[in-house]
Amino acid sequence: AVLKKRLVKLVVNFLFYFRTDEAEPIGALLLEHCRITKEEENVFSISFVEEPERKYCFECDSKEQCQEWVEALKRASYEFMRRSLIFYRNEIQKMTGKDPLEQYGISEEARFQLGTRKQ
Amino acid sequence: MKLNERSLAFYATCDSPADNAGFLYKRGERHTAYHRRWFVLKGNMLFYFEERESREPVGVIVLEGCTVELCDSAEEFTFAIRFGGAKSRTYVLAAESQAAMESWVKSLSRASFDYMRLVVRELEKQLEEMRWRPAGGCGGQQESLGSWKLKPSGPEQSLERVPALPAILPKENGCAVWNNVPGVDRPPNTSGCSRHDGEGNPRPPPLPPRRRALSSEAGSTGEAVAESPSSFCRLHERYGREVAQLQQDWLERRRGPRP
Repeated sequence: AVLKKRLVKLVVNFLFYFRTDEAEPIGALLLEHCRITKEEENVFSISFVEEPERKYCFECDSKEQCQEWVEALKRASYEFMRRSLIFYRNEIQKMTGKDPLEQYGISEEARFQLGTRKQ
Repeated sequence: MKLNERSLAFYATCDSPADNAGFLYKRGERHTAYHRRWFVLKGNMLFYFEERESREPVGVIVLEGCTVELCDSAEEFTFAIRFGGAKSRTYVLAAESQAAMESWVKSLSRASFDYMRLVVRELEKQLEEMRWRPAGGCGGQQESLGSWKLKPSGPEQSLERVPALPAILPKENGCAVWNNVPGVDRPPNTSGCSRHDGEGNPRPPPLPPRRRALSSEAGSTGEAVAESPSSFCRLHERYGREVAQLQQDWLERRRGPRP
């Protein structure tokens, strides 16, 4: 496989990639239901649940850069944030007896509920 | 622009729960005819299918940087998703009832990644602040919320009067609180990504030289964990105490009542 130099931008739950001299991205990867893996030296890969053998590999300039990207990408999905929110909500509720979302009027929002929600 | 369409389709159709779903009429781009489509909202993505049973969406709208507005239209129960920018399109949708319209406008207004991130950071901050207050600090919660500013989500204001979350994003790692406590590790910058937060806040201090590996390989699967290792440590400690207490209680019960 040939390595091509790309400018890579993480924006919300999308990873955009550009040719280094172009303003418009060549493409983007939606980062939901994906697995970020640190591969060998300075390399990480992204693979998706529905096609786990297919890996998008990225080589970094240094192991620090690689680590930084792996950490950032692991947190990049909307679903990860949602789970964090539910976790914090429960923790605060346990510690204070109060639902922290109540004061914002969003405690009944479907998106913040734990467990099964109707489709 | 290439997109990992298969992954998008998977996200749209997998059995993770949707934040909203139902039939809506969508006005065409060039012709003003409305087409009935099955819509599924998951996270910040609004997918639409030709039919409810379709195996793949025909399109998706990414709900970032947009506003959701009610429409003044001959058509009943219409609302619009409007994007800024010269070349951007406005999506006009119509629901089948007043209740459906209100439900969609509400869920779409809160669908952005940025909104979710704001709420997560706010709760994270509350949790951290609670750990450093002496016991019985419930009242203290209010002080931590910072300045209030009404968010400009038009339709929401007519649907309900909701105090908006602080418009000013909290500092990445709440350093100010931590600095005053002796003998505590500086928390590494683990909240969100290390990129600029878009609000012009200064970047957080650099990571300490050796950083404990996060305990979770939580890509897309697995349990949610607290974002920063230090807060996880505190939690771990707390659970440890709970477990120790339970153990002790159990042992005492086994020993039986004291003579």
